Amino acid sequence: MSVIAPKFKLSEFVKSLLDNIFWVLLLMTIVGIPAVQIALFYIEMPVIHGELLTPFLALTWLADPTRLLPVIHALMATDFFRIAAFPGFGFAALLAAGTIFIERKMLAKLQLRVGPFYCGKIEGILQLMGDGLKLISKEIIIPAKADKPLFWAAPVLFVGAAAAFVALIPVAPGWVVADVDMGLLAVFAVIGFFPIITILSAWSANSKFPFIGGIRALFQMVSFEIPLILSLLGVVIVTGTLNLSEISASQSFFPWIVFLPVGAIVFFITMLAELERIPFDLPEAESEIVAGWLTEFSGMMYGLVQLGTYLKLYAFAALFVVLFLGGWNGPMVVPPFPEELLVGVEMGPVKVGPFPGLPLFDQAMLNGTFWFVIKTVGVIFFILLPRGVFPRIRIDMLLSLGWTKLIGLAFVNIFIALGLLYAGVLGPGGLQ
Amino acid sequence: MADAVFLALTVITIGSAIAALELRSLIYGSIALMGTLGGIAGFFFLLDSPFVALFQLAVYVGSIAVLILFTVMLVRRELIFKNIEDRRRKFAGLALMLVTMVALGAVFLDSGIKTITTDEPAAEFRDIGMSFVTYYWPALILMALILAGSVTGSLVLAKREDVENDQRTS
Repeated sequence: MSVIAPKFKLSEFVKSLLDNIFWVLLLMTIVGIPAVQIALFYIEMPVIHGELLTPFLALTWLADPTRLLPVIHALMATDFFRIAAFPGFGFAALLAAGTIFIERKMLAKLQLRVGPFYCGKIEGILQLMGDGLKLISKEIIIPAKADKPLFWAAPVLFVGAAAAFVALIPVAPGWVVADVDMGLLAVFAVIGFFPIITILSAWSANSKFPFIGGIRALFQMVSFEIPLILSLLGVVIVTGTLNLSEISASQSFFPWIVFLPVGAIVFFITMLAELERIPFDLPEAESEIVAGWLTEFSGMMYGLVQLGTYLKLYAFAALFVVLFLGGWNGPMVVPPFPEELLVGVEMGPVKVGPFPGLPLFDQAMLNGTFWFVIKTVGVIFFILLPRGVFPRIRIDMLLSLGWTKLIGLAFVNIFIALGLLYAGVLGPGGLQ
Repeated sequence: MADAVFLALTVITIGSAIAALELRSLIYGSIALMGTLGGIAGFFFLLDSPFVALFQLAVYVGSIAVLILFTVMLVRRELIFKNIEDRRRKFAGLALMLVTMVALGAVFLDSGIKTITTDEPAAEFRDIGMSFVTYYWPALILMALILAGSVTGSLVLAKREDVENDQRTS
C-alpha cells in the first residue's frame, strides 16, 4: 500500500470532482450565459458573406475543418505563434522540461540509484508536474533585509534574458523568431546580461551565501566569455557571415566541427562554465555554500530561475548545433505527403478535397526540426553526462584554465580557420 | 515614429545619467549607468548601425558595467565618501557642467553639422572591414597589436606563481 496519501479514498475523490463539476455548471447557468447574452446586446457583430455572424454561426464554422484549418494555418504564420509556441518559448520550455526529468533519471541510473519513481505509474514520469505544482503552491519568502525591487526583478529578468537568447536560434529553414543580420553578435550581447543579473540578485538577497555564489558566478562567467567569443570567431571567418540562419545553411555538405574541432571543444568547455554545470558549478556548490546565489529564492521565484537555467542550457546546446553540427541539415527522412491530400480525391460522384490549409507544415520544415531536435538532444546529453562523473574543481584551477589554456586554444582555432581559407581548402575555389 | 523613439531614448539616457550621478545608493547608481549605456546603444540602432549597437551592449553593458558593479560591491562605502559635499561645491559643479555643455554645443553647431544631408545609405560593416584591410591597414595593425598586448598582459596578470602547488597532494 502506498504511503504517500494514506487517507486517500476513491469515492471521496470522485465526490469532490462531481462537486466541482456541479458548481461550474450551476454558476455558468445562473451567471455565465445571461452575462454573454447581455454583452451580445451591445456588441455589433460583423456581416460576412451577407450573413450576420452570430455566436452560433461562429461555432458552426469552427466545427467545420475546411474553415478551421486555414485559420490555424494563418495563426501559425503570425509572430505571436513564433514567439510563444514553435521556435520560441513553448518549444524551448518543453525541451527544457524534458531535460530536467531526463537529467534526474539518467543521473540516478549512472549512480546506481532509482531516481524519481513514485509519481506516476511508469518510472515516475509525472514527477516534473508534481514538482511544478509544489513550486507554484509554495509561499514566496523574501528575506527581511533584502533589497526588494531587485530581488523581485531578478528571476523575471533571468527568464527574459534566456528567452531572448532562445529567440535567436534558427530551428528549421525560415523558422526563427528574430532573424537578425548580426545574430552571433546579438548572442554575445545577450550572454553579457547573465552575469549582471546574477550578481544583482546575489547582492540584493543581502545574505552571505548568495553573495559568495554571485561573486563566484561573476568571476566564472566574465572570464569564460572571452574564450567563448574567440572560439566562435573561427566559424565566422570561414563562413563570412554573422547571421545564424546563413551559418546553419552553409553546412549543407559538412558540419564545421570537421574543420574546426579545436574551436568546438573550447566552445563546449566554456559552455559548461557559462551554464554553471559540473565540473564548473562553483556558484552553486551545494556542499560549501548551500545553493550559491539561489539560496534565498523560494517558491515560484526559484522555479523561474530554474526554468531560465534550463532554457539557457537548451539555447547553448542549440547554438553548438547551429555553429558546429550543421543545424537543421540532414538526410531527408520525412516521407512526402500523399498526393490525395494536396489535390483531393474523387470517389465516383463525390469529390473530397483539396483541403485548404493542409499540410500545416512543409516537408523541409519537418525534416529540419527532426534533425535539429536529434542533434540538440545529443548535445544536451553530453552536457549532462559530466555531472555523474566529475568532481567539482577549485576556483583557481577554473580561472587558470579559462585565462591561460582556453584563450590560447581559441587563438589556435582562429589560425586554423585562417589557414584553411588562405590554403584554399575552403572558400572560393575550395570545397565551398 | 523615429522621433518618438528618439525622444524616449534621450529621456532615458539623460535621466539615467543624472540618476547615476545623484543616487546615494551606489548599486542603483551603477544600474542607472547601465541604463545610460543601453540608451546609447539604442541611439546606434536608430542610426542604422546595429553592429556598433550590439558591440556597445556586449562591451559596455556586459563588461564595463559588470566591472563597476563588482568594484562597488567590494569597496566599503564609508571609505569613498569622506567629505560631505556642501552647497558651494554643488553650484560650482553645475556651473562647470553648463560651461562645458555650452562650449561643446558651440563647437558642434559651428562645425557645419547642420548642412549634412542624411539621404545616403548607412555604411555597411563589410565596407568598413574592406577599407580596414586595404587603405587603413596601419590602423588595423596598430589595433591588433594593442589588443594582443592587452590580452597577453591580462594573461600574465592572471597567472599567479606564488600559490602554486601548495594545496595539491601530488
